Amino acid sequence: MTRLAFRNLFQNKARLVISVGGVALALLLILALDAIFAGAERRVTAYIDSSASDIIVAQSGVRNMHMASSSLPDSVRRKVGAVPGVRAVLPIDYVASNVVIGDERNLAYVIGLPEDAAFGGAWQVASGRSLPAEGEAIIDRGIAEKSAIALGDEVEILGKDFQIAGFSEGTSSLVNSVAFISANDFEELRRSYGTFSFLLVQVQRGESASLVVERIHSQVRDVTAQTTPDFAAQERRVIRDMSTDVIAIMNAIGFLIGLAVMALTVYTSALARRREYGMLKALGARNLDLSKTVVMQAFLSVVIGYAFGLGVTLLLALVVPRLGSNLTLEVTTASLMKVGVGSLVIASVAALAPIRQIAGLPPAMVFRGA
Amino acid sequence: MVSSMVLRPPEVTVQISGLTKSFGSGATQVAAVRDVSLTIYRGEVVLIMGPSGSGKTTLLSMLGALLKPSAGEIRLNGSLISSLSEKRLPEIRLRQFGFIFQDFNLLGALTALENVAIVAELAGARPAAARRKAAALLSGLGLGERLNFLPEKLSGGEKQRVAIARALINEPALILADEPTANLDSKIGHEIMRLLRSIATEQGRSVVIVSHDQRIQDIADRVLWLEDGQFKEMLTMAVDPVCGMSVERERSAQAAWGGVEYYFCARGCRDEFLGNPASFLPSAAPNPARRSS
Repeated sequence: MTRLAFRNLFQNKARLVISVGGVALALLLILALDAIFAGAERRVTAYIDSSASDIIVAQSGVRNMHMASSSLPDSVRRKVGAVPGVRAVLPIDYVASNVVIGDERNLAYVIGLPEDAAFGGAWQVASGRSLPAEGEAIIDRGIAEKSAIALGDEVEILGKDFQIAGFSEGTSSLVNSVAFISANDFEELRRSYGTFSFLLVQVQRGESASLVVERIHSQVRDVTAQTTPDFAAQERRVIRDMSTDVIAIMNAIGFLIGLAVMALTVYTSALARRREYGMLKALGARNLDLSKTVVMQAFLSVVIGYAFGLGVTLLLALVVPRLGSNLTLEVTTASLMKVGVGSLVIASVAALAPIRQIAGLPPAMVFRGA
Repeated sequence: MVSSMVLRPPEVTVQISGLTKSFGSGATQVAAVRDVSLTIYRGEVVLIMGPSGSGKTTLLSMLGALLKPSAGEIRLNGSLISSLSEKRLPEIRLRQFGFIFQDFNLLGALTALENVAIVAELAGARPAAARRKAAALLSGLGLGERLNFLPEKLSGGEKQRVAIARALINEPALILADEPTANLDSKIGHEIMRLLRSIATEQGRSVVIVSHDQRIQDIADRVLWLEDGQFKEMLTMAVDPVCGMSVERERSAQAAWGGVEYYFCARGCRDEFLGNPASFLPSAAPNPARRSS
């Protein structure tokens, strides 16, 4: 009966394309959306992940950067620097603002960096320098290309014009980018003299970052320290919480489209073969045998559709970033599992109506030309 | 030296008694088959004829355990099958009956070999064994070169031979054929008839054929006439020379030509005949009455 299910599916090419194509498109929609959000999450934490720090220290109670504000007095730098196990500390300033190019406003995390920062700057430079001097800015290459500006041109950040000293790579996401200016400019513009936003900490070789975090908490008051991976995870969680409803709605739409297409094609396929199923019943096939055929056919459609949808998603993940888009697609195991389980549910539900219909077929119909 | 021969009574395959099937209820109730009794012997070919709506198909469906009778009983090899539950009937149909249909009813997505093998697999045979057996059967029926052809690539006669192989693969006691020659040309129809005859004679299977095809009478051991749900005598039957249908002499349209009386199913056939009688009588033989047993 497995062979019959397989042949039934592949015999009519048009039906196969509609059935598998419909499911594939629906699953592609879910997979691609998941991949886009996963990619966006990854990009949102790109600065944190690439900051070369082991620990990030913030004002007490602040656990992430996005939509958060942190202010630490300069004394914290010294106190944290004295904690055993700490190798280096780097104060950075941070604010969510815009990079303005002409009439165009690009959302950006603006990072203020000391001019001699050994880490915490642009981690990949397309051209120019990685650290800005006073009056200079490092912005994302994609943003610059979009606005057709070059090194030496000016952009407005925090209400002041900066000369572009370098273009960074991998610093933009779907919604924003990262721009670097000098700490002095940042303090001047934000009037945040004697304070900074976060402290990037590197630990000594062989030291456990978690242990150093505990020491910082025990020795420095009014700060919240987290390992960099924990800080990034917290950042992603915040972003995810903000977009969960959107993802859920889009996933539900994709799921419903997949279910509708699958149910319709399996149902019409069973309807078209009604006489054949009736004949098989007349020959002695049990309802269970025929149900297996229908379920097998539905599952085959979904498996092929899933493979096709995944293939196209992976292809998009490769191609889209090369098209100069800010989009990055990241296919996660969790997404594959979720869509896989969803597909099986789709196949099971889609097979129900035809199974009921076949169970009700009278075997004597075979003689009636029904 | 004295030779002795013991005559044994013929072995009964199917015995039906008082079989009735009604549809609807109350004032709209219609009896498709009424109080029919019949015994079919091993190796016998029984042809059931009758006008459309006479109950032939209903009777065939009940014989094949596809339809429950309203009254009466059916015994297959002595076992009462008419009262079996619906759950047990697929097993009976699978192993005890072979079905042959007018329009072949092959699965369009499967090859000739797979169409036959699938029935053996349903009966529990392993796929490889089922395919071996199906290949042997099909080869025996002259389809050895067509095993992997889809039904759409087969001629009508080949399709019907595949259907016959499918009917035989589980070695049933009874073959039920519904108009097996209706969609075939004369030559192929004859081949199929001979095949059914040999299945009965050589394999000892009983064959029940429902048909309007007069030619099948040549291979039948018995011809039964079913009308209004009951078997009737066929002493007064004749063949319409235009359409080939069996007609009752007393009730039919008639015409004389060449000194012989001819009988027709309807005036249309009679008028057509009278327009050019010679074209309908290639052998110049009158349409004789048939015997019934």
